[in-house]
Amino acid sequence: MSQEPKRGHFAKEEGEIILREHEYDGIQEYDQKLPNWWLFTFYGAIVWFVIHWGVYYYTDFFRTPQERVKQEIVAVQQAKAAELEKTLATLDDSTLVHEWATKPEVVSAGEVTYLTNCTACHGADLSATISAGGNKVPLPGLPLNDHQWKFGSKPMDLFKLINVGSPPESSGHNGAKMQAWGQTLGPKKVAEVTAYLIAKLPEDFKDIPAK
Amino acid sequence: MTATITYDDKSVRHFMIASIFWGIVGMLVGVLIATQLSRWEMNGHWIEIVTFGAIKSDGISFLTFGRLRPLHTNAVIFAFVGNMMFAGIYYSTQRLCKVRTASDLLSKIHFWGWQLIIVAAAITLPAGFTRGKEYAELIWPINIAVVVIWVVFAVNFFWTLAKRNEPSLYVALWFYIATIVTVAMLYIVNHLSLPTSLVHSYPIFGGLQDGLVQWWYGHNAVAFFLTTPILGIMYYFLPKAANRPVYSYRLSIIHFWSLVFIYIWAGPHHLLNTALPQWLQYLGMLFSLMLWAPSWGGMLNGLLTLRGAWDKLRTDPVIKFFAAGVTFYGMATFEGPLLAITKVNALSHYTDWTVGHVHSGALGWNGFMAAGLFYWLAPRLWKTQLWSKALANMHFWIGITGILLYVVALWCAGIMQGLMLGQINPGGTTLKYEFIETLNDIQIFYWLRSFGGLLYLSGFILCAFNVWKTARSGKAVDESVEITLLEKKQKDGMAWGEALFNDPLAHIILAMVFVLLWIFLPPHADKAALIVSLLLSYKAYAAFKASKDQWTNWHERLIENYLPFTVLVFVAVAIGGAVQIIPSLIVNREKNIEGRLQELYTPLELAGRDVFVSEGCYNCHSQMIRTLAPEVMRYGRPGIADDYSHLGESLFDHPYQWGSKRTGPDLAREGGEIAKYPDGTSQKYMRVGKRGNDWHFNHFLDPRQTSPGSNMPAYPWLFDKETDVKSLPGKIAAQVKIGVPWPAMNQHEIRDSVETQAQEIAKSLIDAKVYLPDKPDLKDDALRNHLAKSEVVALIAYLQKLGSYKEVGKDHPSSPSPLNPDSHRRTDASN
Repeated sequence: MSQEPKRGHFAKEEGEIILREHEYDGIQEYDQKLPNWWLFTFYGAIVWFVIHWGVYYYTDFFRTPQERVKQEIVAVQQAKAAELEKTLATLDDSTLVHEWATKPEVVSAGEVTYLTNCTACHGADLSATISAGGNKVPLPGLPLNDHQWKFGSKPMDLFKLINVGSPPESSGHNGAKMQAWGQTLGPKKVAEVTAYLIAKLPEDFKDIPAK
Repeated sequence: MTATITYDDKSVRHFMIASIFWGIVGMLVGVLIATQLSRWEMNGHWIEIVTFGAIKSDGISFLTFGRLRPLHTNAVIFAFVGNMMFAGIYYSTQRLCKVRTASDLLSKIHFWGWQLIIVAAAITLPAGFTRGKEYAELIWPINIAVVVIWVVFAVNFFWTLAKRNEPSLYVALWFYIATIVTVAMLYIVNHLSLPTSLVHSYPIFGGLQDGLVQWWYGHNAVAFFLTTPILGIMYYFLPKAANRPVYSYRLSIIHFWSLVFIYIWAGPHHLLNTALPQWLQYLGMLFSLMLWAPSWGGMLNGLLTLRGAWDKLRTDPVIKFFAAGVTFYGMATFEGPLLAITKVNALSHYTDWTVGHVHSGALGWNGFMAAGLFYWLAPRLWKTQLWSKALANMHFWIGITGILLYVVALWCAGIMQGLMLGQINPGGTTLKYEFIETLNDIQIFYWLRSFGGLLYLSGFILCAFNVWKTARSGKAVDESVEITLLEKKQKDGMAWGEALFNDPLAHIILAMVFVLLWIFLPPHADKAALIVSLLLSYKAYAAFKASKDQWTNWHERLIENYLPFTVLVFVAVAIGGAVQIIPSLIVNREKNIEGRLQELYTPLELAGRDVFVSEGCYNCHSQMIRTLAPEVMRYGRPGIADDYSHLGESLFDHPYQWGSKRTGPDLAREGGEIAKYPDGTSQKYMRVGKRGNDWHFNHFLDPRQTSPGSNMPAYPWLFDKETDVKSLPGKIAAQVKIGVPWPAMNQHEIRDSVETQAQEIAKSLIDAKVYLPDKPDLKDDALRNHLAKSEVVALIAYLQKLGSYKEVGKDHPSSPSPLNPDSHRRTDASN
């Protein structure tokens, strides 16, 4: 700045810039007007507070977060129910064995889902064991390759079991139960997994007649 | 009358050296824990690798993320920035007051006491002694030491103000005053706890209250430990270094008062979309938006002071660091309000975006301001030239590259993970990604972040070297100056009545009272209060226009009187917390539980919970399902539409464990019902939730066995360490005192209950044929008895309890209750 600024206490006139008389350890201070855009954001945020608060507490414009999430989840549940109904309409013991389980692309999709989600409890080879240090260590799930089906041996029994998880009467594996996989996978993937099991275990389902 | 005085610059040198030393330690720990997020081996297993197997371990307790992350945050906040702040404050306060610090003895006690506290923290935190609250982890004996030393600092500071030879207080001192007063208030309230032993205590607040107090503290630790003192330092050292007048005095006044008043209210923005009552969430969000302008006021006053001195940016490393530091301050304080918007927060919260945000503050603002300060101070404290400008410039460029890499990497990581977690499959019924997939996909950014942090640390080491060489090239000298002694009546002569019952204040307080009435009064009365407060605001504006001089003179008088000034600062900072916290203490605890009442823990579960807290599990796992659909779909139970976390579910949790970051999944619904024997009868205590006991067993032994790709540390020591049963009666008695309704139990009953539950769980593990690789000889009953005593079983008991509650009649949100603004809301349901 070429021109010596005016000394004073406070800026008073419009557009005036004062260099304050008092100095602190050699530090000087201007007294400049506050930038308009800065004032605007400040006042704007205060006004916004009043508006936002008013709209929430005096009108129905916003739902409460609880109401909103409940409605969204109910919608998801309804969509799930509709999806399941649609799948069940085309699904029975016979179609699972003779249509789903005979299509290689369905079986391999089921295999991918099985390997991601099911091996932790039922083992990659369906034996519900894992090799550790040369030993067969049991996993939490029931073996699937022992030809015993505790909760029903029909393909649709399997589908339902995977879809909704361990039945209420099951005491589980030391209390641990299988989760309702239909919730996270959806009915189509559950059907694919069922088809994968049927394809892996043809012996168990050879008596299901084709339509 | 004049006199020659010598400033106490020795203390400044001490604090500065301490800051540099602890800065390196804190950042080094930061880099280590950053790499732990990418490689689980960094949690101690690397020792086995570098010793070629001489020391065998899958993980070492005191090197795990959960214990070191608190060490990192405490070291950087309290040791690095703390010591830097003290150096800046001691240097500038003496010069702004034209007097030597009041007591050399107090300065010495302050310095050595603070370093002792840091050493104690560095020992206790890795040892697993913690209160389990972020940035408030230190155990209660250290808390008391902190308060004592802070009081020593305060006495020394205010005594110096009282002895000053300068009639009025410069703006830097205002910020120092705000720092001292507010940190004391926050620290004491958030550390109120009931000791159960020398190293353990329970916070007296639980659940919602604890969360609210915690983030009132946590957010304002950022405000009043990492921001206001550094703004004060900026106001002294930046105009000095630039040799330019401060841009605007009135901006100083407005942004100081608005900043200290508004900042306090913004704490609840750390709990957006949680079970926190909506009115508190709105206060948190809306005050955060209001905070933007006051924060930028500080940035403007810093950057615009550099007008006319921008040419120095090329030549002077001090100006370089200050300009970059203030710019980062502006960026972080813009990002802050943005993240505080509920919808943005829904995406960003619990992700690395928040972590990136704090680091743009801590590395960009604090770290660069510290570097500028050190480069400015070193030549003056040792009466010499800076040893190498080139090295300082190199520090600057390495540092800025490091921090930009760091921040950008975590923006990417946070936004990407947030989006992935919310992604829903076509059809709208299922989630697209498992949690672990989102974690694995952001690994590239974690590596970049570690690299950025390493660069920043390297730059800082150059700074340490440069300062050391500078000190070696000069000689420690305490500056002497000639000053004019001040007549007694030239300062501190304002009567209390003149200070407190004067015009600007009268208007402001009255308007504020009506704003509060607007928030709390029932329908219609609240609107009347709003109208009155608007009228009062207008009246205040008119009064200001009419008697501007009187108003400004009042403030000019006020800053010549440090005690009334301090009292007013305290009033300004106390209001926000009082309004937000006190209603929850009075009414909300028993009433506002949203229809779900937490099941009490059993003694074993409590012991397990203490293990959970001690291991710092909350650093990576939340226990809070937010009111967001993808979150309820991911963590809620099938078939329950309102399965977000309700307030009552954590009512008795001391400390609360809602968490602030998810490196692993949420655990709010990890537990389950009491398990049944195969014959259908119920076990006595043992519960099983989402996963079986053996799953948890294997998971703690080797997380990657059960969750391929997990970055969680292994916890082998939990399988050897015995559960602390002896202290349980004392702990339970303490919990009863702070309001947890434990049933009456004598110590034998407690012991029996622990034994029964531990045996149930251990038996289930034996039945599942679990295998302890360290102890191949232990089998059957021997293994069972070993496990029943171990911490891992207690921890499993706790995890299997999570999310257990009793349904109690839904309370009616519409029944109006005083001090609960949400109950006054007009809705269709209530009409």
